Amino acid sequence: MSRQIVLILLLGALFAVFTMSIIELEGLYNAFGKEYFLEYGQSDTGSNNLVTAILLDYRLFDSLFEAGILLIAVSGVIWISKHDIEEKNARFMIDKFKTPDLFITFSRLVYPLMLAFGFYVIVNGHLSPGGGFQGGTIVATAILILYYIDADKETNIGLIVTVEKIVYLLIIVLASVSIVTRGTFFTNFFPLDATQDTKAIYLVLLNVLIGFKVALGLWTIFTAFLKEGR
Amino acid sequence: MVNYITDLSLIDYTAYALQFLLIFIAVAIVVHKNNGTIIILIASFSLVTASLYVINNAPDVAIAEVAIGSAIIPLIYVISISRQREFIVLDKAMDDFIISDNQFTGIGYILLKRFSDFYHLELNITNDPLLCRLGEGKDQILCEQTNVDLIVSKDPASGEYILKGKASNILMNKLEQMTKDYDNIRVIKFKDRDFGE
Repeated sequence: MSRQIVLILLLGALFAVFTMSIIELEGLYNAFGKEYFLEYGQSDTGSNNLVTAILLDYRLFDSLFEAGILLIAVSGVIWISKHDIEEKNARFMIDKFKTPDLFITFSRLVYPLMLAFGFYVIVNGHLSPGGGFQGGTIVATAILILYYIDADKETNIGLIVTVEKIVYLLIIVLASVSIVTRGTFFTNFFPLDATQDTKAIYLVLLNVLIGFKVALGLWTIFTAFLKEGR
Repeated sequence: MVNYITDLSLIDYTAYALQFLLIFIAVAIVVHKNNGTIIILIASFSLVTASLYVINNAPDVAIAEVAIGSAIIPLIYVISISRQREFIVLDKAMDDFIISDNQFTGIGYILLKRFSDFYHLELNITNDPLLCRLGEGKDQILCEQTNVDLIVSKDPASGEYILKGKASNILMNKLEQMTKDYDNIRVIKFKDRDFGE
């Protein structure tokens, strides 16, 4: 009983600190960053979507580690679900895994549309809401639906993971090219006074690489989950 | 402050309604017992969250929320739960304990059937030759690394039937309780090992 009372008191104290910090934030809040990005964001980075401008140009250093987190998560999932017995009870499970025919038919219909929408979101990341991460997730969902259509599809996880790591290295290399052309790390490698369309080449390239990497990473997680039961 | 209260537009009312809906869905996720319903509720939770993001002018976050929260996570849950619904028994004994005259009428089968019906699981008995050929010493590795829940084997010396499973599987305790009355059935539970041991 005393422990519960202490817990409630602690929670109350936490709540009080939380409300106080919110009041403090009101004083700290200012519109400097917002006004800066609104004024210079488009001309600096060549991106109509200011979120992409911040993710892929102003704060590219942070985004690189964000992509790294997914890489580490994938390694963790693979490490936990590793199997050593070769040909683990492979066959009898698959024919037990029944998917409704209606679901399969609809999946066949939806699959190309999902794939196309995913690529659209990736490539248009600098023009409309979306970007590499969101588009990569949609592509990965499309690939997952492929497993429902064809239950005993074989995937080489080792190859996917290797390609994902190579793509991650490519992202870092592409982000670092600007040290040669501009003299600073992790920004657009085209000069600052280039046209918006020229700068967009860099944004599309980086978005495609990030989308590729995210799709491969999530694909690996799915296969680990699917293999777990077989 | 007065302005703040009176100047509510339709979009603000929608936002408040969605926030209340979010609380209800969160409570429902905790309260519900059926796994399928919970998955649908989790998916709808992220849909409501995504619409709140759109109301607050964050379409990028909304797309990520929809793609992850209401597509990938429910699908992963569906995969995991469809794997969980079966109780897989590897029959190494190969005598009339489970199958007699090519029919599931053995005393062991009736016991296991009653057990799996109690937990609403689908009983799946296999005598996969690849796995049956593995030696006795590999039984623990077999339980850890495949989805076999229970191994049935026969002790050649005493004629006892041995049911082996993981100690961390809570179903094993119930099975031990159910087989207490049978003299010729023994339950062995494997202790869990840490990774890399």
